[in-house]
Amino acid sequence: MSLLDGARGSLTELSRPERWVLGVSAAFALFLLAALLTGALGPTYFLFLVGLAGMYALLSFGLNAQWGFTGLINFSVAAFFGIGAYGSALMTADSSPIAGGFNPLVGLVVALVVAFVLALLIGIPTLRLRADYLAIASLGLAEVVRLIVLNERWLTNGSAGLRGIPSFFQGWPVLSTFPEAMPGLRLVVIPGSPILLETSFWQSLLNVMLVLTFAGVTYLVLRRAHRSPWGRVLRTIRSDEDLARALGKNTYSFKMQSFILGSLIMALAGVFYTHLNLYVGPGDLDPITTFYAWVAVILGGSGSNRGALFGGIVIVTIREGTRFLNDVALPIDPAPLRLLLIGVVIVAVMRYRPQGILPPQRELIWPSAVDGGGTPETPDSGVREQKGGGSNE
Amino acid sequence: MSEGALPKQDAVLRVDDLQKSFGGLAATDHASFAVERGTITGLIGPNGAGKSTLFNLISGFYEPDGGTVEVNETDVTGMEPYQVADHGLIRTFQTPRKLEGMTVREAMLVGPRNQPGESFVKLFAAPGTVAERESTNLAEAERILEEFEIDHLATQPATDISGGQMKLVELARAMLAEPEVLLLDEPVAGVNPTLAKKLKDQIRRLNEQGTTFLLIEHDMEFVMDLADPIVVLDQGSVLTEGSPEEVRSDDRVIDAYLGGGT
Repeated sequence: MSLLDGARGSLTELSRPERWVLGVSAAFALFLLAALLTGALGPTYFLFLVGLAGMYALLSFGLNAQWGFTGLINFSVAAFFGIGAYGSALMTADSSPIAGGFNPLVGLVVALVVAFVLALLIGIPTLRLRADYLAIASLGLAEVVRLIVLNERWLTNGSAGLRGIPSFFQGWPVLSTFPEAMPGLRLVVIPGSPILLETSFWQSLLNVMLVLTFAGVTYLVLRRAHRSPWGRVLRTIRSDEDLARALGKNTYSFKMQSFILGSLIMALAGVFYTHLNLYVGPGDLDPITTFYAWVAVILGGSGSNRGALFGGIVIVTIREGTRFLNDVALPIDPAPLRLLLIGVVIVAVMRYRPQGILPPQRELIWPSAVDGGGTPETPDSGVREQKGGGSNE
Repeated sequence: MSEGALPKQDAVLRVDDLQKSFGGLAATDHASFAVERGTITGLIGPNGAGKSTLFNLISGFYEPDGGTVEVNETDVTGMEPYQVADHGLIRTFQTPRKLEGMTVREAMLVGPRNQPGESFVKLFAAPGTVAERESTNLAEAERILEEFEIDHLATQPATDISGGQMKLVELARAMLAEPEVLLLDEPVAGVNPTLAKKLKDQIRRLNEQGTTFLLIEHDMEFVMDLADPIVVLDQGSVLTEGSPEEVRSDDRVIDAYLGGGT
C-alpha cells in the first residue's frame, strides 16, 4: 500500500512509524514551502532537488527490486546508473565520439538495452551460485565499467566527459519549446523578495515531470510485482532458496528476472540524470552512488517500495541540505559532514530500527483475490488458547 | 544383497543403483528401491545411514555419481530440483523452513506449481487470469488449512507459530503443489505427541485420498504404525524391505541399529 493510500484512510489505521514519517514529511514540506515563499530557496533549484530526489528514489527502487525482494547483493548500482547515463548521453550529445544527435528516446532505449545485456552477462555466471558470488562479481563490475569509461577515449571521451546533451524533450512536439514559450512570471508573496519564474524554471519543471513519470510508473510496476505470486517467489528465495526450489520454482530464472528488472530501473535513473545535468563524466560512476542507494534501501526498510522512496528522499536531503551548513558559521568544513551524517543515520537505524523505517508489513496477496476470497480476516478468540495448547516449544 | 530392485507394477518413484560419495565416503552405496503408488513407504536406518543424502539425490539437490531416479516412469536423474518437482515429486525439509515477513496463508500460496502470476509479463498482460488463479489458490489454501485444523493461524506471521505447527503448515503447503509422491523428512521430529498424532492422521487421510508418501522418521512407533512397506537403509544401501512386522523381526535390522553389523 502506498503512502498516499495510507493517508487517504483514517490516521488511526497507520502504524506508529507511518504516522511518524507522515508527520516529519509534512513538517519538512511546510519548511520547504516557507523557504520557497520567502525566497530563501530558489524555485528552480528546488525543482532540481526534486529531480535529484526522484533519481535517488529510482536507484533505491532498483536496488530494492534486487536486494529487498530477492536478497541479491548488488554492489554495482553505480555501474548500471553510469550505463544508463552514458548510454543515453553517447546517443544524444553533440560531443559524442561515436553517435550523437539522436532523439533522446533512442538514447533511452539504447541505455536500457545495454543495461539489460550487462545484467544478463553478469547474472549468467553468478546467479546459479551462492549470494556472495554476485556481490563479489558486482564489486568488480563497477570498477571495470568505471575504468572503461575513464580510459576508452574513442568511445566515451574519457575524463573530459560528454557535453552538449539536449533536454529529454528535444524534438518532441510542444514540449521541446515549452520552456521558451512560457512567459516569465514574477510572483510577489512577501513584499521586497519577488520570486522569478523564467525559462530555466519551466525547463526544471519539465524535468521534474519526467522523473515523476519514471518514478511513478516504476513504483506502480514494483508494487504490483511485489504483491503478486511472482514477488512471493522472490521473497521465498530471499528467505530460503532451497524451499523455493523444492516447490518447483526455477529460482535461477526468478533471480535473473529480479536482477535485470532492478538493473533497468537503475539505468533509467542514469538516463534521467543525463538530461537533468546535461553533462556526464567518469566521476558520475564513483562507488559512492552505490553506497547511497544501499543506505536509502536499508534506511527505508529492505523490501519496501515506499521505504525505498523515503530513503531516497532522505539521502538527497542530507546530501544537499548539508550545503546550507556553509551559511552557518561552523568551525569545520561541512562538506565531509555529509558522509559522516549518513554514517550516523545508518548506525542509529541499525541500533534502534534494524528493519528500517518503513519495512513491508502488510500481507502481500493479489488484492482482488483477498477481497473476493471471503476469508476469515482476523483470527477468532480461540487463537491464543489453541496456540498455547499446540505449542511444543 | 538388496531385494529392492525387484520390478514393481506401479512405481511412482524408482531408485536404481544410486551412488553418491563425499570424499571417498560412500554416503549412498548402490541403493535401489521403489515406492509403489498409493503407499506410505517408510525409510528408516540408523544415524548416518544416508537417508537425507538419498532424499537430496532423489529430489535433485545432489547430483548422483551413478544410478538413476525415475518419477512416474520418467528419468529425472541429474535434473534441477524444480524440474523434479514439476514431475510431481515434492519434498519437505527436516527443519521447517521459515518465511520471513509472510503470514501463514501467504507462505501457503508459494505451494501451487505453475501459477500464471509467477510470470512477470502476465502480471501486466493478463491480470485477470492472475487474480482468478490467486483467488482459487487462496480458497484452496484456506480449505487445506481448515482440514488441518490450523485455519486460525492463517493470518499469523509464519515465523511466529510453533515448530509443530510449522511442520503442519509445511505439509499443508506441499499438498498445494499437488504432489504425486511427497517426500517427508522427519515429519514429527521435535513435535509434541498431540501434534504428532494430528500429523499422522493427516498423512493417513491424504494417503487415502491418493497421495503417495515416502517418509524418513526416527520415531519407530510412529513409522511402524503409519508406513507399509518400510525400507531399511544401512551404510548407504538398502538392507531390507518389507512390512513393519518383517522389518521388526529381521535380525540384520536389529544389528544395524545396535551397531552389531559387520
